[in-house]
Amino acid sequence: MKRREFLVHLISELSSFLLQGQPRKMVISLHQEADGIHLAVIDDRARSEVEIKAIERALNASRRPELAGYYGQMAGHDLLGSARLNLVGWQIKHADVLKNPGGGVMLNLWIGGEDFEYTKFSIDPEDEKEKEK
Amino acid sequence: MALRDRILTQFLTATILLLLLFGISADGPAVALEGFWRLQSSPARLLSDYTAMQGTGAALLNAAAVGIIGWLFAMLNGISLSGPTIAAVFTMIGFALFGKTPLNCIPIMAGVSLSALIVRKKPREYLLIGMFGTALGPLVSFVAFEMGLTPALALPVSLAVGLAVGIVLPPLAIAMLHLHQGYNLYNIGLTAGFIGLFAASLPSAGGKSIASISSWGTAADPWLFLFIPLLSLIAAGMAFICCGKKSWNEFLSILKLPGRLPSDFCELSGPGGALLNAGILGMLYSAYVAIVGAPFNGPVIGGLMTLMGFAFFGKHPRNVIPVFLGLLAAALLFGKTLNESWVILAFLFGTALAPIAGEFGPGIGILAGFLHLVLVERSGTWHGGMNLYNNGFAGGLTATLIVSVIEWYRTSIER
Repeated sequence: MKRREFLVHLISELSSFLLQGQPRKMVISLHQEADGIHLAVIDDRARSEVEIKAIERALNASRRPELAGYYGQMAGHDLLGSARLNLVGWQIKHADVLKNPGGGVMLNLWIGGEDFEYTKFSIDPEDEKEKEK
Repeated sequence: MALRDRILTQFLTATILLLLLFGISADGPAVALEGFWRLQSSPARLLSDYTAMQGTGAALLNAAAVGIIGWLFAMLNGISLSGPTIAAVFTMIGFALFGKTPLNCIPIMAGVSLSALIVRKKPREYLLIGMFGTALGPLVSFVAFEMGLTPALALPVSLAVGLAVGIVLPPLAIAMLHLHQGYNLYNIGLTAGFIGLFAASLPSAGGKSIASISSWGTAADPWLFLFIPLLSLIAAGMAFICCGKKSWNEFLSILKLPGRLPSDFCELSGPGGALLNAGILGMLYSAYVAIVGAPFNGPVIGGLMTLMGFAFFGKHPRNVIPVFLGLLAAALLFGKTLNESWVILAFLFGTALAPIAGEFGPGIGILAGFLHLVLVERSGTWHGGMNLYNNGFAGGLTATLIVSVIEWYRTSIER
């Protein structure tokens, strides 16, 4: 799949998930580099720790190439019913879920090839965590 | 090896050993092997009950061989056992009692792998399409043994047809998935039915009619009668041995899931709960088959095996019961005989529509079951029996109808 189409599907599934919670605000931020992508989606809906853990678990689901190559094609496309973050999780390198100080969450997705190291990015998830503290 | 891998490996090993043990015991090894050999060149289109055509032993050996091939295919691709792979191997095993053989499965799986390489993907990304895609095995057997080709031509031409079908399966499977949005568990059934429409039309265009096959075993064979209840007990027993009381809690959490594709119950809940779910569904539906007096023959055992396989990947009692009630309502309203071949198969395979009940509620699930029975009686003739997953084909059309209406309503109504 072309990078553009792939991103459209991921953004669509993530947006669908966050919009299910009927937030007042939602921000999508994309940072592309040659060997990888950082996608951040932010909303303002307060969530419990259990909900945040479930989001983190779904987005960091173990890599499932046999599912990603086939059923992963439904991500951001087949939106009737509940949004499914695991469709996204199978296709990305790593995800961080941070609680925003003003309520809501920030989903940080790190996408890249086999050699992609998200720590090499100019946006460091550790910095984001520090900022939150 | 992780706990999930270990449990699923043990369960699948037990299943294949049970098939081999029953296969050799039923008719003796010599008769079973001879029959197994003859099955490879037999017609495979619906409805070819291998237990009636070559005996119980031959059919069970064939099922074990096809199951081993499916498992090896996953291993060669570096994919460990999970909910979807168990569903795929069990589906292959089940349909090897009435249509799949090693000879007609391998070219399709090779074609799907080739399709992945054509678009520079790894074959493992299309692994499940390859495994489920063996639904079109009868097409390979048809070209090889029913078209009257000379032996020198039959094998290469059927191989080429198998490869070609395998190459076009992935793009079609993905397109079909979008039609019903994951609410028909047998997506390849819809895909294979679509291909089957063209495949069955070609011989007709050339002036060759496709004769229907109707082989349906009615003998009461104790080996076949015992197989699924015993396998169900093994599944439930293994659930409690491996995970204890946790299995029950995992099973209860499975009941809350809609089951829409792709729902790997082993990952979403746990392998113990998924095994228990398989045991419960296997027992419940075996009881139903016995109550209505249907024979435990190849197709029926195939249906039960597929049901148990999908107990790891989308089906559970709470989402299959509404579909069952819908099927029952349609059968009673239209005066169908409950133990007639296509009716009992519709009850077993119609559970492909379980996610509709799981997501939209029991009322819509009942409607889905009702519509499925109405359609499936006719859909088999459309593809000349080339697509083994005829219920998946009808289920896909039913799911598309229902999902389209719900989506239109939800996206059009002003809130």
